[in-house]
Amino acid sequence: MVEAFAVASGKGGTGKTTSTLALGMALAEDYDVTVVDADMGMANLLFHAGLADVETTLHDVVVEGGAPVEAAVYERHGLSVVPCGTDLSGFAAADPTRLRDVVATLAADTDVVLLDSAATLSSRSAVLPIVLADRVVVVVEPTIPALSDGLKVQEYATSYGTETAGVLFNKVRDDDAIDRIAPKAERYFEGPTLATVPASDTVRGARRAGQPLLAYAPESAAARAYREAARSLSVREGDSGAVADRFRSAVVPESL
Amino acid sequence: MKLPSGRLVRSRVITDPRTVLVDALDRALTGYAVLEPQDALLLDDEGAGVVTFEDGVPVVAYHTGTDRGGPPALADLAASGPYRLELYALAAADLAAVHDRDRFRVPPGMAAERLAGDQSLADRTRERAPADRLADSADRGTDEADRSASAVEAFLDDEEKIAAIREQARQQAHRRADEWGFDV
Repeated sequence: MVEAFAVASGKGGTGKTTSTLALGMALAEDYDVTVVDADMGMANLLFHAGLADVETTLHDVVVEGGAPVEAAVYERHGLSVVPCGTDLSGFAAADPTRLRDVVATLAADTDVVLLDSAATLSSRSAVLPIVLADRVVVVVEPTIPALSDGLKVQEYATSYGTETAGVLFNKVRDDDAIDRIAPKAERYFEGPTLATVPASDTVRGARRAGQPLLAYAPESAAARAYREAARSLSVREGDSGAVADRFRSAVVPESL
Repeated sequence: MKLPSGRLVRSRVITDPRTVLVDALDRALTGYAVLEPQDALLLDDEGAGVVTFEDGVPVVAYHTGTDRGGPPALADLAASGPYRLELYALAAADLAAVHDRDRFRVPPGMAAERLAGDQSLADRTRERAPADRLADSADRGTDEADRSASAVEAFLDDEEKIAAIREQARQQAHRRADEWGFDV
């Protein structure tokens, strides 16, 4: 079985990468999970996952005659992690449509694929993970611009045949009146509120330590919220072979 | 809300309201900004937003289309960019009458937080705000956080605006699908 989720927000700074890894680790308690840094222009998952020094990344895979996907898969924290390099020349050389084949290959051998997506909707490569995924997890802060961009992500997803798995409210402070805001927001999102993750210094601490939150502070309130979100996701059964085929024949043409 | 005309210091089209707030803060502007949404889809959403500043710190917000002031006016303004921005300088004395209207006032950091979604800009703005502005909002029982949250709620209550944002995104997604070769 396999289901691919894009973790997306449309806006920077909402904590997508932290959320991707945290959801991944929480889901890994029940599933075989692969996390891919699909934000190829502004990759940062490698720093969060303690993979800053690795030699082969997604950039090396998605170039003409590149490395096999397996060379960029690292087993960390109970997950298979595919980091992406931060070198801009690597990004320039990358062919984003090859991401489709990467996801197809990974899908053959995992239960859940999480695609950490770009914080923008302005380019083809940024939107591609949303196109490839079965469902999108929309990460928002309880602010007007973040909610507005979250809604745009959902519209893009819907337009490209991708469903909304739910909304994750991140960096929520005590005084954000989230108990009033979340139900109002839910009226516009196709999926439920997966969890509200409190703002905390622990998250920054984890990032500085180069560790995923659930490894750094597994009992923190934020970590608990992510586990709750993972439980709400109810991963769907899919036939790996069929999913892999679907990715291979995805709607993206070979050339730009 | 009537404002005396000021001296135009900047006029341009911007996509992100954050630009206005950063510009006003950097210039330590005393005056006001007029933000007029440019989007054709939202043209029936008539009117412009006005935010006044003292020494770069937002004081009141008002929307001419909805006739709402304070946090709801920020919600009216949000997420309907690009905007035509005009920034005017005006003497503090000329703003006094407007600044006395409590229901139009917004806490110093709120526009940065809720319009721009930028916490560090909000912090910088609050640092610049005089102590009486910070005390002022607490004294009047208008806790800044509460009012910020209320701007988000006002935004979410505006079903027409949200429908327009979604429709705009949907059209954009379809248009770009053609450009990008996605088959929708």
